[in-house]
Amino acid sequence: MQPGKNKHDFNYILGLSITSLVLLVVLTGFFYTPYDPNKMDAALRNSPPSLLHLFGTDNFGRDILSRVMKGAGTTYIIAVSIVFVGASLGTIVGALTGYFGGWFDEAIMRLNDVLTSFPSILLALVFVSVFGPGSYNIILALGIIFVPSYARVVRSEFIVLKERDFVKNAKLMGAGNFRIMFVHILPNTGRVLIPSLLIGFNNAVLAEAGLSFLGLGVQPPQASLGRMLSEAQGYLLDSPWYAIAPGVMIILTVLGFSLISGGLANEK
Amino acid sequence: MKSNEILLNIENLTIGFARRRKINTVVDHVTLEVNKGEILGIAGESGSGKTMTVLAVMGLLPVSAKILSGGIHFLGKNLLTMEEKELRRLRGAEISMVFQDSMTSFNPLLTIGAQVEEMLRLHSSLAKEEYRILTLKALEEVGLAPEVYHMYPHQLSGGMRQRAMIAMAMIAGPKLVIADEPTTALDVTTQGKILELLKEMNVKHGTGIILISHDLRVIQSVCDRAVIMKDGRIVESGAAKVLFAHPENEYTRQLVESAPVLFSETGALLKGLDGETFFDCNKDEGEINGNVVQDGTELDMDPNGTNINKDRNETAVCSEWNGSNLKEDRTGTDLNTGPGKDHGEDQAKNQTRDQTRVQNKGKNKNQDKDQEEILIIKNLNVFYPEKGIVLPGKRSRKQVIRNVTISVRQGETLGIIGESGSGKSTLAKAIVGLDTEVEGVIKINGIAAAGSEMSVSRPQMVFQDPYGSLNPMKKIAWILEEPLKLQTNLGKKERMQRVNEMIRQVGLSPEHLERYPHQLSGGQRQRAAIAAALIVNPGLVILDEPVSSLDVTIQAQILCLLKELQKKYNLTYIFISHDLSVTFRFCDRICVIYRGEIAEVKEAGELLCRPQHEYTKELIRSAMLLTA
Repeated sequence: MQPGKNKHDFNYILGLSITSLVLLVVLTGFFYTPYDPNKMDAALRNSPPSLLHLFGTDNFGRDILSRVMKGAGTTYIIAVSIVFVGASLGTIVGALTGYFGGWFDEAIMRLNDVLTSFPSILLALVFVSVFGPGSYNIILALGIIFVPSYARVVRSEFIVLKERDFVKNAKLMGAGNFRIMFVHILPNTGRVLIPSLLIGFNNAVLAEAGLSFLGLGVQPPQASLGRMLSEAQGYLLDSPWYAIAPGVMIILTVLGFSLISGGLANEK
Repeated sequence: MKSNEILLNIENLTIGFARRRKINTVVDHVTLEVNKGEILGIAGESGSGKTMTVLAVMGLLPVSAKILSGGIHFLGKNLLTMEEKELRRLRGAEISMVFQDSMTSFNPLLTIGAQVEEMLRLHSSLAKEEYRILTLKALEEVGLAPEVYHMYPHQLSGGMRQRAMIAMAMIAGPKLVIADEPTTALDVTTQGKILELLKEMNVKHGTGIILISHDLRVIQSVCDRAVIMKDGRIVESGAAKVLFAHPENEYTRQLVESAPVLFSETGALLKGLDGETFFDCNKDEGEINGNVVQDGTELDMDPNGTNINKDRNETAVCSEWNGSNLKEDRTGTDLNTGPGKDHGEDQAKNQTRDQTRVQNKGKNKNQDKDQEEILIIKNLNVFYPEKGIVLPGKRSRKQVIRNVTISVRQGETLGIIGESGSGKSTLAKAIVGLDTEVEGVIKINGIAAAGSEMSVSRPQMVFQDPYGSLNPMKKIAWILEEPLKLQTNLGKKERMQRVNEMIRQVGLSPEHLERYPHQLSGGQRQRAAIAAALIVNPGLVILDEPVSSLDVTIQAQILCLLKELQKKYNLTYIFISHDLSVTFRFCDRICVIYRGEIAEVKEAGELLCRPQHEYTKELIRSAMLLTA
């Protein structure tokens, strides 16, 4: 899959630039932030953006830029973990069901249908309220909720690909089922799997933000984009900068990845 | 027929695709004309620009294609400067088109009648009942029953759909019909009939026809004049008969030679792949030589690319295609091809060859006793599970292969022919074990391949479409190495050594190993697929239409390669094809499959000259029709 080559891929390039900018900020945040993101300073409560504090400070006098940098990092790590859990389980399920078919496929896919028939955020809420809030539980809950979408994508690709001659050829060579599934067929699903990983990442960022906003995700004083939005809602009118910084960060993240995955999907 | 009245005139037409400031020319200064009531054939391999040329006539070029120069005049009117509205009036009424794939060219949701009628509605205003009557008449004219009017495309066979398509193209009484590969997707038995129909329409209505085909036989059988295209240029044109009998251009000659010629006017197969073997039906029974390459010396292949039999005044297809000596070797050779050849000379050659043939025959008989049967099939039945609701315990299945009993001897090439849907591919899949719903006995003997210490592995298969049979995400080296990983205990180094060896054997170079399948041409891909099948030294290889998707010149190369490898590794081939001429040239014995059953199994020559089964007779008759 080569990146876009002609001018039609303007969106793809725009997405790539936005994402690299965002990633640069976030990666820097792991090693360096202008201030300690959790250091409170009563004298600086709710101060508007200035040269010292580019994005202003929050109600505890913490530097918002530093908190966005650190918080976005937390959000990203959680989102990547969610996608990892969902995609790897989903791929295995999809590969097995698509490749073997039959009653096994039917059974698993009906289970999949049950899982998708509930709103995902509701399922996550149930899960978190049973097992308690926190990053790990969010990863697990959202990861499992993401399984059906990946299983579906991978399964439909496998159903098409398993009929191709190169798979028959592999069988004739004496390759076992698992080797055929994961060495011969799986690399060929990249065309649809990679864009859906990117979209999944977006959804995970939004879901994490949503859950943290409800107070079920990342616990204070740790920062995450959703957590910050949730804390900012009381100060929307007095100090709008508090909500704008993490909000813009979420928008840029989602926009960038959407554009990239759109560009990849258009590639033939 | 009023000739000399020019219907369509294409002058210096150049079409190109702009790609990143560079222009990729696909049609290069093409000039041709079609007279009234004439059938013009355009022949050429894929990518020669023949389809682009006629799409330009219809004004249906892809948006990215640009006409760079030239003009197209239809009855004196310039089509390129014409308004879209005017063009639309012309399409269908004056110029219409018959496409290759009749399944996708019809709207699956409308009846045939409605679609044929639509063409009439667009170009005339009549009463409702009149449309119906005219449509039924048009259907009748192409040999379709009135019931077809109410049927949907998927309810018709390919041949019937193509007839309906011709009815649709003809109904508005066009002066010019463009038929783009109208018979390519059809079985041989239907191909002939469709061509006859086109010819009939041409005679009856005086419609000019442009017939595009990659198959020279098609062009030869119906066209008055022919044009040969290569790389967007016209390389030769002229009256069809003269052109194919005495090709002037080097490329035309290559095409004519690689085109499998099956029959002369007397009904004999003219020449085999080695340029030597041919069948003569005037000979007594038992004299007909069916063994194309049993005796190894017949094939003039040499890995160094030098022609051993230089002194022989013969053109053997295999030696022709062997590497770089292609051009140097050709000087002053006698072209022993084509139906236009005079027979006195052929007769004379027959006689000198007869002696060697009798000797060969004797040798073959002795060999037969030594030859063990590598594959024995007894009472084989193969089923396909019917699609539908899957209920445990209750499964309906459709029988595809009925009671097939056949055996294949070590080292021979068994051809399997039959129309699409006859079950020939199913039989192949059953043999290699890809089909599970099988009843009966399939026994594959593990006879060690000559000159190899490795035991013979399971049968391998070469598929029709090398796009599909090579994993698109893997490099050629990986694809070739994989069977070795799975079936041998060789170390990494030894494996790569074998891969390097094998890639040379199939006529590719080690640099191709680092490429992905899509970076190779069709012929190269098929070579790589052959290498992957042969690398584990299988005793039995099933070739499922291995050359059907390739251009004729490439076809000949691949067939020669297969023959050479067969000799070298003592392979047994099962060759499946719907193309009679290729099969007869390539195989020792041929098995005709008709509706899942074996109609006949015979030596190739015997089958060709003395077919017993009705279906075989029809097959051979229609193949002859194509060359007649």
